[in-house]
Amino acid sequence: MFTIGKLAGLTSVSNDTLRYYEHEGLIRPIAKSAAGYRLYDQDSARRIHFIKHAQSCGFTLAEIRQLLELRQRDKACCGDVRSRAIEKKLQIESKIRAMKAMSRALDQLIADCANEKRPVKECTIIVALERANLSTPVQ
Amino acid sequence: MKVELFYSPGCSACGDRQAELRTAAQEAIEDVEWREINVVDSVDHAVELGVMTLPSIAIDGEVVFTAMPTVGQLRKALIERNRGRA
Repeated sequence: MFTIGKLAGLTSVSNDTLRYYEHEGLIRPIAKSAAGYRLYDQDSARRIHFIKHAQSCGFTLAEIRQLLELRQRDKACCGDVRSRAIEKKLQIESKIRAMKAMSRALDQLIADCANEKRPVKECTIIVALERANLSTPVQ
Repeated sequence: MKVELFYSPGCSACGDRQAELRTAAQEAIEDVEWREINVVDSVDHAVELGVMTLPSIAIDGEVVFTAMPTVGQLRKALIERNRGRA
C-alpha cells in the first residue's frame, strides 16, 4: 500500500492532483494508516496511468469517469468504448476544422496588411476587426 | 428528403431499431432517402454536419437527433419537416 506521496512519485502526478482525483471519485484510498494517512493500492496507480493516457487522447475527466465506469460494467462491450473514442475523434476533428478556419481568416488579415510601417490607426487588421465588430450585433 | 443515421458497429446505444426506424420513415414520407452511415467511414461528412455523438440522425443535412429516437419521435420530425417543405 502507498501513501499519497509514494503514489504521486510512482505515477508522476502531484499530490494536489491526486487529491483532486479523489475528490472527483476517480481514485479511492483503501485504508488509513495508524497515523491517519490515506493509503492506496496498486489499482489506484493503474487508474492514474489510465487517466493520464486517456487525457493525452483528449478525454476530459468527466469522460474518463464514464470510461472507468464502463470498464467495470459487466454488460458493456468493446463497441461502447469504441463509440466513445469515435465521438472524441469527431469532437477533435471539429475543433481542427474550426481552428483551420481561424488560421485562414488570419492568413487573409496578414495578407491584407501589406504595409507594416503605417500608423496603427490605419492598420488594415485593426480596421478589419473593427468592421467585423460593427457587423456583429451587440447582445 | 434525406435521412442519415450515423452509427458505429457494436455501439449498444445505436441499438437494433434501425430497420424499424427506416420502415417508419419510408411510411411517413414518400420520397425519403434513408442512409445508414458507419461514421468511421465518413468522418469528414459527419464533422461537416456537426455530428458529435453516436448515434445521430440528420435530416436534410441538419442533425436533429443525438440519440436514437423512438419511431413516434422520428415520424413526427419527418412529417413536420415535410410540411415545412410544402
